[in-house]
Amino acid sequence: MAMTDEQLIERIGQGHIVESPGEMTPEYRQTLIHILTVSADTELISAPSYYTAARNVPSMNNLISALAIIQDELSHAHIGYRILQDLGVDTEALIYDRDPKQFKHPYAFDVPLRSWIELIVANAFYDRAGYVLLGDVYRHCSYGPWRRGLAKVDKEENFHLRHGENGMRRLAATHREELQQAIDWMFPMTVEWFGLPDSLKTHGKQIGYRLKGSTNDQLRQTWLRTAVPLCEGLGFRVPAHHERATDAYVLDYPLPVDFDEAERRWLMDRPITWNDVLVRWKRRGPGNAMFVEMLQRGRRQMRETVERH
Amino acid sequence: MQRIGDEPVYEVFARRVDGEPLRHVGSVAASGDALARVYARSIYDEESWIELYVVPRRAVIPVESVRTEAVDAHA
Repeated sequence: MAMTDEQLIERIGQGHIVESPGEMTPEYRQTLIHILTVSADTELISAPSYYTAARNVPSMNNLISALAIIQDELSHAHIGYRILQDLGVDTEALIYDRDPKQFKHPYAFDVPLRSWIELIVANAFYDRAGYVLLGDVYRHCSYGPWRRGLAKVDKEENFHLRHGENGMRRLAATHREELQQAIDWMFPMTVEWFGLPDSLKTHGKQIGYRLKGSTNDQLRQTWLRTAVPLCEGLGFRVPAHHERATDAYVLDYPLPVDFDEAERRWLMDRPITWNDVLVRWKRRGPGNAMFVEMLQRGRRQMRETVERH
Repeated sequence: MQRIGDEPVYEVFARRVDGEPLRHVGSVAASGDALARVYARSIYDEESWIELYVVPRRAVIPVESVRTEAVDAHA
């Protein structure tokens, strides 16, 4: 007898781990597919984004570590799409025929990184966001195959963010201004990544199904709790501070604020609504078409060659 | 050209140290055994495994499972 959604949520609440599509309700399956697609797309798009930035490496050793990180990201994407295939998703169409605007990665990856320093800060900020978000899934997720797949991801994202931290430490003395400039636009970018505040977003299903364990605001706070001390410890300015009374990190600007894409500058005195943010996210950013094209081009050329012969 | 979702699936098993059970670490999809080995080696490289295996999913025959339909299909 098929289980109702309420029965499934109750079983999951008691600690049940779902192992196969046969145990899912249609709603659970749809929610899982959505959250897995966001995750796999994010891992995948980070590859062309980081690769584009890695062309500016100052040394061969730096190139080796950048390429190792890119290879990790592609493996993480592979694990996500592989699980999606077992859920009946046509990943050929999903990856190679999808309109770039329909990819579900965060807007942050649509803004191209222009230098080695920005790649270092991306490791320190963006991979930390990935580590926070996926670490939460790794510890709480009710879908067994994904949870197990994340053992590798959790370990490697931690390595990436350490790479970013070590890079920032090494460059802090000699490249202060460039690092501060990168932090100025990439810090608020990552803060926004965590999405709508809990007051505006109902997580009912994702948390009820235990596909994630924490809310957007809790995850954002977890990110701030290590990102702010990292920057302050190196003497960099960030638009957030620790509030002793509540032992929480508080932003020094009204989230969300307007973003000047061309200048890559946050207009801290121009508050906007989350609806405005969603419009920008849906419109996608300046690197979106280029990065997706880098991913899809080879497959398209191969298909054309096969058709000709 | 084979569609990506149509390639056979291989389950990946690995052992980290002597004395530990061989455990399931994930899966790869590949058009043949040789590529499955390459994919497993490059994707599941999070540990220095002392053993790593790929097994075609169709070769895994269920004997007992709480998901009875899986067993019945092979009975």
